[in-house]
Amino acid sequence: MSPAPENGPAETAGWKQRLWAYLSDRVGLDAMLALGVKKRVPIHRTTVFYFLGGMALFLFIVQIVSGVLLSLYYKPSPDQAFESVQAIMSEVKFGWLIRSVHSWGANLVIGVLFLHLLTTYMMRAYRRPREFTWVTGLLLLALFMALGFSGYLLPWNQLSYAATNVGTKLVGVVPVVGEYLLKIARGGENVTGDTLSRFYALHVAIFPLLALALMGAHLYLVQKQGMSVPPRVAESHGGEDKVPSMSFVPDFLLRDAVGWYLALGILAALAALFPWELGEKADPFASTEIGTKPEWYFLFMFQLLKQLPGTIMDLEWLEGEMVGVLFFGAVGSIVLLVPFLDRGDRSRRALNFFAGVSVIFFIVMTAWGWFDELPLQIILGTSLLLAVLALADRFLQRGTPSRRALGVAAALTVLVLIAAIIRELTR
Amino acid sequence: MGDEPESPERRTWLLGALSGAVGTTLAAIVYPIVSFLWPRESTESGAMNVVAPFKANQLPDSGGHWPPPFDFGGKPCLVIKTPGGEIRAFNAVCTHTDCTVQFQPDKGQFLCACHNGIYDLNGFNVSGPPPRPLETYKVDFRPTGTPGEEEIIVSRT
Repeated sequence: MSPAPENGPAETAGWKQRLWAYLSDRVGLDAMLALGVKKRVPIHRTTVFYFLGGMALFLFIVQIVSGVLLSLYYKPSPDQAFESVQAIMSEVKFGWLIRSVHSWGANLVIGVLFLHLLTTYMMRAYRRPREFTWVTGLLLLALFMALGFSGYLLPWNQLSYAATNVGTKLVGVVPVVGEYLLKIARGGENVTGDTLSRFYALHVAIFPLLALALMGAHLYLVQKQGMSVPPRVAESHGGEDKVPSMSFVPDFLLRDAVGWYLALGILAALAALFPWELGEKADPFASTEIGTKPEWYFLFMFQLLKQLPGTIMDLEWLEGEMVGVLFFGAVGSIVLLVPFLDRGDRSRRALNFFAGVSVIFFIVMTAWGWFDELPLQIILGTSLLLAVLALADRFLQRGTPSRRALGVAAALTVLVLIAAIIRELTR
Repeated sequence: MGDEPESPERRTWLLGALSGAVGTTLAAIVYPIVSFLWPRESTESGAMNVVAPFKANQLPDSGGHWPPPFDFGGKPCLVIKTPGGEIRAFNAVCTHTDCTVQFQPDKGQFLCACHNGIYDLNGFNVSGPPPRPLETYKVDFRPTGTPGEEEIIVSRT
């Protein structure tokens, strides 16, 4: 950094400029800024999906802040956990708001990550050399689901107790090592105070540290390799370099800030209008209530396990539960390996088919598990499907057969949705 | 959106509106967080008096086992008997750095073990770093029917 010109007018070298020069000399601010200015973000029909990662990062920061605040009053013991959350909700000023922000934020961050995953797949941004960006991202999604699961037990209410029982039991059906995994996860045979301590340590220390490390790797890779341009976009412009772009600082960052503001607004509205409920204190010996179900992002697994018979084809060694758990393990592995499985047109068609089936499976199972009445299930399912179709529409070129097929599917879905709404209203 | 430059007033107004909106948002975030951090009311005890967990005749005349401090509104309270037989009560929190003092009946003084602060039986700081005397409480007796077994009631003055 060269010293400021001495003959410059006094006004231009105000305190801001002097502070900037002072920090640049010592912390290298100008080098960081240069990196941000140099980074380009391509502009095309699906640029809007580049905001999802930043939004998830913002929500993660909200989770850290609200989580640290909650830890100031929360007490992780079976005798005090429920009471301390009750005190947070009723005695501590704005405690209800902080807890609701944390609970809603957890759901939003996972929702945004699902969308981030789906749109990244649709943009095919996992291609060489970004395989590890995909892998770290998927591990982050799994980690955030684990954060949601471990945090769910902490209020120590009936619902969280049941969810932890079911969730840890599923670990137990893994062949050979399942029994040991179950004991390690629960800290014993049953869900007890030791389980609560374990989940607390996982939730406030181990998982957040892992998340920060993985996020560091993920962001480093994004920074190193730059934003991916979807192959079709690059083709239509005649090369990746010819795609119009904006600089990350300040053009994209300011738009990012708008996305963060939007996320904050949605989060604040949800937390203020629908404060998170506490329920009843966990009683390990009470019967589980009817209608107990997990958070929406575990519902698709829960619903399948509910449908599987105790043993499949009457084979004693083939337990339904075990098959379900192994099935989801296999699906998860395929998603994790997508960048390595995409090896040309044929494998890509197979992957797209697999992705389509997975998304439809997720939607059907979630809608099925969410509501008890068929018309409501259909309304939720078709609405979700329409949202995904609208998402996919952005990625398809006009006049192509797949776009026409998508239009037909959307029209059919709308018809079914209208029929279900009429049915529900006239019931 | 054309090529003409924006007018300075418009730019100033927009900047002002943006700063105002961001400032309001920050206030709406900071205010709940500061309120959340503030201790809740149930942690502050408003107790004005307390009954000591022992009777008047359970205090030894000299030496022997001296009752330890007990809770009075969240602070340790020491009840002692002077060689003259007078019963006195003190807030046992040292005025120096908030350690809890101990009664030394054989030396007729209070010692704060943290920095060797010494108080006399009136609670006056006589040596060491304590800047002020111990807080004194008022002592009353409530008869129980048996002479000598009166309850000791400690209250703020």
